[in-house]
Amino acid sequence: MKNSLLIFSIGIAAVASSALSAPKPNALQTGAPASAQQAPAAAEVKIDNFSFSLATLTIAVGTTVTWTNNDDIPHTVVGTDKAFKSKVLDTGEKFSFTFTKAGEYPYFCSIHPKMTGKVVVQ
Amino acid sequence: MNPFDIKSVLLAKHAQHVVLIHFPIALFIMGVAFDFVAQWTGKKSLAAAARYNLLAAAVSTLPTLATGLLAWRIALEGEHLKGILLMHLVFAWISSASLWVIGWVHYRAGQRPEVALPSYRLSLEAVGVLLITVTGHLGGFLSGVNGPG
Repeated sequence: MKNSLLIFSIGIAAVASSALSAPKPNALQTGAPASAQQAPAAAEVKIDNFSFSLATLTIAVGTTVTWTNNDDIPHTVVGTDKAFKSKVLDTGEKFSFTFTKAGEYPYFCSIHPKMTGKVVVQ
Repeated sequence: MNPFDIKSVLLAKHAQHVVLIHFPIALFIMGVAFDFVAQWTGKKSLAAAARYNLLAAAVSTLPTLATGLLAWRIALEGEHLKGILLMHLVFAWISSASLWVIGWVHYRAGQRPEVALPSYRLSLEAVGVLLITVTGHLGGFLSGVNGPG
């Protein structure tokens, strides 16, 4: 009888510990939006042929966006509201900015103002 | 944007430079062409046309330089220049200086018609055309005139 009780107790303890250590269902499994859990930490925009590769980039708060100038011509990345501003980027140079607030951030190249883009932070 | 919106055109932060630059380039090259033909043919009317064109070219460098420097101050906030931008600035100053020297030579000749124009001016003018061509090429490269932009 004692042995039966001991085995039963061990069994209960094993079940309880496995239940506690089991992985919690993630957001995807519960139907929550994937972006809420899997927000990219970084995004990239390429500058080429006098244009930004992504005219509109949608990211999550906290994402760092990196612009890379692949053009033969120097360019800049300047937020319309001056929230961010790069120095002149020669070929191959990069500029990064981390967006910490939600909102829309239109930007342009101050050397070629018709080059425009927008970052949407959600 | 309406291309005939006066406010937008006049207040564009650096658009004036790319408009004005055509004047010294065109006036200078035509002035040099007239001067070479005047030298070849000996026609005084062509020499006078050359003088007026070259003087106008020298004067027109002033607003062009001013708007170029303003573009640097406003669009790039006076950032330390390098690469093509720096080359464009350096060639702009050198070619402007050559236009002023050539303009001065022709101005003095206009003041004293009894003195013949120095023949070395033709060499100066040829170098000036080369300099302003390089400057314009770099400016066109920067502005995207020679690209898909």
